Amino acid sequence: MGRENPAAEEALCLLRSRLCDPNFIFKPLSDSPDSNYSKLKFMISSSITEACNNSVLLLGPRGSGKVAVLELVLRDLLLEYPDMISVIKLSGLLHSEDVCAFKEIARQLCVENQLLFSKMASFDDNSQFMIAMLRECGLAHKTIVFVLDEFDLFAQGKQRLLYSLLDAMQSVTSQAVVIGVSCRLDADQLLEKRVRSRFSHRKLLFLPPSSEDLQRLMEHILSLPIDSSLPQDYAVEFNAKLQNVLADKRFKVIIDTYMNSDSTANHLLGFLFRAVSNMKLENGFLTLENFEAALSNVQRQPKLESLKDCSIVELYILVCMKRLEVKEQNSYNFNSMMKEYKSIHDSLRTPDYYSRSVCLRAFEHLLQRELISFTDKRGQNQSVEFHPVKLLVSFHELHQGLKSYRSCPAILQKLMAG
Amino acid sequence: MPAIVNRKPSLLAVSADYDGVVAVQLDKIGDDFRSNPLSTPQKRTLRSNSTPISTPVKWKSPRRSVNASPNCPPNAIERDVDGRLPKISKSLVKKLADNFAVKPNWNPRDAEQMRAVKEALHLSTSPPVVVCREEEQNKVLEFCKLCIKQEKAGSLYVCGCPGTGKTLSMEKVRRLLVDWTRENGLQQPDLLVLNCTSLTNTSDIFSKILSKSQSQKRSTGTTSPLKLLQNIYSQKPQESSRNMTLIVADELDYLITKDRAVLHDLFMLTTLPFSRCVLIGVANAIDLADRFLPKLKSLNCKPMVITFRAYSKDQILKILEERLMSLPYVVFQKIALELCARKVAAESGDMRKALNVCRSAIEMLEAELRESPNYLSLSPVEKAVIGQQTAPAPDVLEKREIDVVRIDHMVVALSKTYRSPVVDTIQSLPQHQQIILCSAVKLFRGGKKDTTIGELNKCYTDICKSTLIPPVGVLELSSMCKVLNDQGLLKLGQSREEKFKRVALKIDEEDVTFALQGIRFFRSCLQ
Repeated sequence: MGRENPAAEEALCLLRSRLCDPNFIFKPLSDSPDSNYSKLKFMISSSITEACNNSVLLLGPRGSGKVAVLELVLRDLLLEYPDMISVIKLSGLLHSEDVCAFKEIARQLCVENQLLFSKMASFDDNSQFMIAMLRECGLAHKTIVFVLDEFDLFAQGKQRLLYSLLDAMQSVTSQAVVIGVSCRLDADQLLEKRVRSRFSHRKLLFLPPSSEDLQRLMEHILSLPIDSSLPQDYAVEFNAKLQNVLADKRFKVIIDTYMNSDSTANHLLGFLFRAVSNMKLENGFLTLENFEAALSNVQRQPKLESLKDCSIVELYILVCMKRLEVKEQNSYNFNSMMKEYKSIHDSLRTPDYYSRSVCLRAFEHLLQRELISFTDKRGQNQSVEFHPVKLLVSFHELHQGLKSYRSCPAILQKLMAG
Repeated sequence: MPAIVNRKPSLLAVSADYDGVVAVQLDKIGDDFRSNPLSTPQKRTLRSNSTPISTPVKWKSPRRSVNASPNCPPNAIERDVDGRLPKISKSLVKKLADNFAVKPNWNPRDAEQMRAVKEALHLSTSPPVVVCREEEQNKVLEFCKLCIKQEKAGSLYVCGCPGTGKTLSMEKVRRLLVDWTRENGLQQPDLLVLNCTSLTNTSDIFSKILSKSQSQKRSTGTTSPLKLLQNIYSQKPQESSRNMTLIVADELDYLITKDRAVLHDLFMLTTLPFSRCVLIGVANAIDLADRFLPKLKSLNCKPMVITFRAYSKDQILKILEERLMSLPYVVFQKIALELCARKVAAESGDMRKALNVCRSAIEMLEAELRESPNYLSLSPVEKAVIGQQTAPAPDVLEKREIDVVRIDHMVVALSKTYRSPVVDTIQSLPQHQQIILCSAVKLFRGGKKDTTIGELNKCYTDICKSTLIPPVGVLELSSMCKVLNDQGLLKLGQSREEKFKRVALKIDEEDVTFALQGIRFFRSCLQ
């Protein structure tokens, strides 16, 4: 069971809750004046104070924090200018139909202004209502902020909603800001000519954080606060050990390998959550092993694990099939594989030569384990030996599997390579 | 700023000695003289004495015109000009005003000025004078006048690219028409202005026309509004002459249905013997009348077509200057405005874009202001006080006063508007995704348009092997392709098996090559 370490448990809870809170994560990324947060905030606040309409598009891969930063900006602006902003949120997945969209806008406007919403209102009524509300809010110096999530889905069909919104912004009487969020870089190319003409081409690109930003982000998230309910010396020692881990070269290799395929902030947070959960509660400090374990947890290779459980015969079969594929034989079956096996045996004088029946048994075993399979489902009447087969593991995975096999004969490795 | 100085010598000749007199006074006022030798702060009253090209009326949005009046001068001028100007003879002023209205530079730190400038350049403010469209407006106006005078019906089709001033011109024509009918004692036509996007059904337009023209007749259940209208217009009117109806239908192509009936019937209304409506349709397509109304041609009543061509560079420049003319200060460098006009005219000729770019350039200036040190934000009085007490550091004095929007601001604004984010995104993609794009480029070089994930995987593995990066498996590759598909860089097809999904490249090969040229490996790979 181990010694109960309440401080460590509390620290674990704190770290986990931080990792799940997007506001906390994106705050340090927003402090510089050059960041997207400050640009967006300046844009919206100047639209509010100067009462001019604006539209902006937030672009970036999924998980790069577009909606999180937007929420942060809106929250700060609602604190700064209470009663001067009302926010209407639409999502392209739910409201891409014009009728649904106008209904939802009308409903949200009613909720904001404590009016009664009627479900029976027609499309015409809803759009007239929206225009009237825009005019009223313009007179009252209240800005309406429209947030359109999955903006590229609104650009399907006739784009009536986008046209009406952007056209309403062309009139002097309304005061609105339209913010589109999309992961498609060419979202504004999807718009019709006249809608695109009314859209002011402001785009904010959300790029994945650079390595310095990543380093700073990890320090910010994982460092424990000194002046909190945690014991001070524990927190100080924790932070010192953390600094050591972060500066370690092997740690950099781990992070680089992990972020090589997906470098968004969200992806990193998943990894950190796993690492933090691996923290041993006895000593209560984050070590390099936690991160290494998290990496191996994430990069699971189910086929490799199957390969590790294979017998030597099965490995021989797989290697022979690989050689046949490399020789560009498009279809081969058990018999051709046996021929290849024989020729290897003859040329290299391998010590283990298995009989045909043993190989056939191993072959069926591989078929069951789905490491190889038949190329087509027809002709099941044919016996197993004549049926064309193919490999379901890639050459790279086979290579990895042989390397990590506990007692792989050297000949197999040579055969793989050559 | 050499460009400005070179352009002004001919105008300077007129005011050579004038400058000498003013130079001494100007040092006290500010550093404006150094940046713009011709700018002299003028009293507002002088300008109203001279004869400008058109009276610049300060227009205000209906919200904010509570206390302000067109004659109240802006604050900055009052502050700077009070009692410091020499007496300027009126003849000199007249000569200058004829050539070029000399104005001081603006002070971007003044919130009131900033607001006024942004409002002047905003898309929603409609200028009182619509320049560069006089010819087209006259044509439409003449057509409407003719129809009203002869009490005949007619149809007109206005077409042009977005942002060419069609709706704006129609507004102007309407107002002019109303004034004209009032002046000439003719009966004012009923006006119906509608945007066809706001119609739920395309045939609702007829009920709208009906309600406008005849308020008593309501469509019963059996006769549709269209039938009623056709009946009304085919019969001789019982009462005395009815009003003409002027219908302006914006975004006409929303009325195009599969059988093209609505559009056709709408235009046919004007051909009926006793029809009283003048129809003006506005749309983008130039050949809408030919393509969708072929039958009208056979009846010899095709609508007259007026094309609003895209703005040229000179027109855009003129319109921008017209908007800025009412402001009593200089906001942009002339060459910055020219660059903007040239670029926008070359690309689309869309006026909205030009206005957006100008506003963007002002925001660049604001950003520069926010980053500049606080010294330059002090008022002249404080500066003088500090100057007496301590010797100011030489580098601070040499900093330029940030006032007009310079050409570098405009260049940044233009690049932000026109540059696609593709290159930046590719450069910040994780390594494996970059290799995937690279292998896609290599595969599609031979003229092939798409391939499968299996092929892509082979190419990808080859590239990875050549540089000893361990390649990822097919499943991971396929999920990375999905991410690239979401971003709009690749196009992924559907298939039951992962390996047979079709992959196509959606961006230009040159973009990928350009974005990755900084990395030696990709450079050699893509050669």
